[in-house]
Amino acid sequence: MPLIVKDYSWTQTEALVYINVPLKGVKAGKVNIFSTDEYLKVNFPPFLFEVILYAPIDDNKSVAKIGNGVVIFTLYKKEESIWENLAIINVGKETLQKKREHAVLKAQQKAVADTEAKAIKKREDEKYALEIMMKLEDEERKRIEEKKEQERRRATEELEQWKEKQRKEEEEKKAQQRREIRKLEHEKKKDELKTHSKSLSECPRKRTVTKTGKSEEISLPAPRSAGSIKIQFTPRVFPTALRESLVAEEEAWLKKQADARRAVNADMSELKDLKEEERNPDWLKEKGKKLFATQNYLAAVNAYNLAIQLNHKLPILYLNRAACHLKLRNLHKAIEDSSKALDLLTPPVADNADARVKAHIRRGTAFCELELYAEGM
Amino acid sequence: MSTPLEKPQIISHIQKGLNYTVFDSKWIPCSAKFVCMGNFARGTGVIQIYEVQQGEVQLIKEIEKAKPFKCGTFGATSLQKRHLATGDFGGNLNIWNLEAPEIPVYSVKAHTEIVNTIDGVGGLGIGDGAPEIVTGSRDGTVKVWDPRQKDTPVANMEPIEGETKRDCWTVAFGNACNDQDRCVCAGYDNGDIKLFDLRNMSVRWETNIKNGVCCVEFDRKDINMNKLVATSLEGKFHVFDMRTQHPTKGFASVSEKAHKSTVWQARHLPQNRDIFMTAGGAGSLHLWKYEYPAQRSKKDADGIEMGVAGSASLLQNVTLSTQPIASLDWSPDKQGLCVCSAFDQTVRVLIVTKLNRV
Repeated sequence: MPLIVKDYSWTQTEALVYINVPLKGVKAGKVNIFSTDEYLKVNFPPFLFEVILYAPIDDNKSVAKIGNGVVIFTLYKKEESIWENLAIINVGKETLQKKREHAVLKAQQKAVADTEAKAIKKREDEKYALEIMMKLEDEERKRIEEKKEQERRRATEELEQWKEKQRKEEEEKKAQQRREIRKLEHEKKKDELKTHSKSLSECPRKRTVTKTGKSEEISLPAPRSAGSIKIQFTPRVFPTALRESLVAEEEAWLKKQADARRAVNADMSELKDLKEEERNPDWLKEKGKKLFATQNYLAAVNAYNLAIQLNHKLPILYLNRAACHLKLRNLHKAIEDSSKALDLLTPPVADNADARVKAHIRRGTAFCELELYAEGM
Repeated sequence: MSTPLEKPQIISHIQKGLNYTVFDSKWIPCSAKFVCMGNFARGTGVIQIYEVQQGEVQLIKEIEKAKPFKCGTFGATSLQKRHLATGDFGGNLNIWNLEAPEIPVYSVKAHTEIVNTIDGVGGLGIGDGAPEIVTGSRDGTVKVWDPRQKDTPVANMEPIEGETKRDCWTVAFGNACNDQDRCVCAGYDNGDIKLFDLRNMSVRWETNIKNGVCCVEFDRKDINMNKLVATSLEGKFHVFDMRTQHPTKGFASVSEKAHKSTVWQARHLPQNRDIFMTAGGAGSLHLWKYEYPAQRSKKDADGIEMGVAGSASLLQNVTLSTQPIASLDWSPDKQGLCVCSAFDQTVRVLIVTKLNRV
């Protein structure tokens, strides 16, 4: 139970109330003041001083000074009047309680309002600071822009001046040209008068007076004698341009294509004898071509046979073998191969038009040789 | 260290939106005019001549022809005549007199497919020797033409019979230091760069830079070969030091990655051969300065001379557009003035400042 302080003293004027509460030896730091418009409480354990004021005061303006063993309140009255008493006497405990609660509530509200106000003020301050910053930066930017503009203007002026100079030079040159031409014509006239009487040997002299209006014909070297340089390119499979970042992808794609063309049945026993290279139909095709070129047609046919054994879906192999058979005069076989090639090339698109033409030609030739002309057609 | 405001600035002086796809733009020498070449939406070719006047460009003339134009050059004409040599989509090489463009001064069916690239040398009072034009095409051949010789090229660099063709994307003349010497450098889409010597009619050097070559340019056409810049796909470019050729290793080079996209063009400043600008596929321009190494050549293990490459440092960069900048040309008369065209159908005149202080 706190001890109620009763030995406080108070004075008043029209507008102010002074309350003097002795601290009775309690340190100033331990004093806790709680005040609202109508209620005042000072709590300094073990003492307690509370009072319900006679009339409301302006809580915001009022001041409490703690020091020298006393607390001095300077309270500003809301209404200027002389109070009969500091506190309202003759109040029941419930009223007191109610007033206390009311006061606490009010204090809480005030606290909330205070924090809100503080938050608002903080935001405003920040906004202000931001605006100032933006203004400063804008100014900086404007300054730089202006400098750039100045440079630009200066450069433009220089350009204009230079253009003027060019124009004047052009005009001068033209004027000079005109003068020269006139002089020339004048001289020509004089010469003409002279040559009426003089011999033709004067003419060469006249001709050599070149028109100075046009530039002198500098003796240019003769055009180069035609030459040709044959070049080779770094090989590239794709028709697109070379890009470093796509090289890895391209390699992977090519590898996949090559693998797909290899023999599906890699474990055909005859093939075990063959080297890795010879199992690749592409390589065999190339070999076949080379052999064809060197007119070793039988060997070429062998190569193509093996290739077809490995991959019987490549029309190009049949086409080439047909050509070999033609050369070997195995005409029936040539017809067979060209027909097979044509079958494989059934979707007739532009891509295999060339190949189809070749197939038709070879088949036609073979038929003609066999004198089955109708078939050849 | 130079402060940010002392570096050369790239200022976009004039922008002009066009109603056609523009492939190439070039300054007309000794004037404040430039030509733009391109392709109308209706499939015909167009050449427009613009003049720079007071912060604006005025259209002076428009010429429309049957086939779209891909590239053009003033490199092989005299300063008085200023004829424009163009390559078009039909494989034709034409030389036009811009005052009288109805009939070309010279015309030949140069290639069977589109002429991708063109370069000229021997004109404009630069260098000695005959004026010649080189064209490179999708048909894999590079041909050198003399405007005085009709119908047949004076040199033809073509693939061996039966060889699959690679597109030639770029050509450049170089090493035209006297009447006889000429070199042509060609870049192809499979990353090949080949240097042809026209005096000996042979391949002098070839290499492969692993990415399709978009542009090659010598720093000067009319001197002994000094530097060659080759730009490619994947945002890379290489600078080769062309003074010392090693028999097996070729020329020394330094490479840089920039732009994060295809580097479409590289052009050296006519007034300073160590400064060049690269144009990228994301609409950006980078200005570079090449610094030579302390020693340009050294002896390798066998005592043979080989070159030492220097370094390229970035001076400035700017992004002007979202589409690739396909063509770039410095004005030979005014230092720092350049015209560039991009695939967003605009042509821009740029001023690069403080180049004399670099």
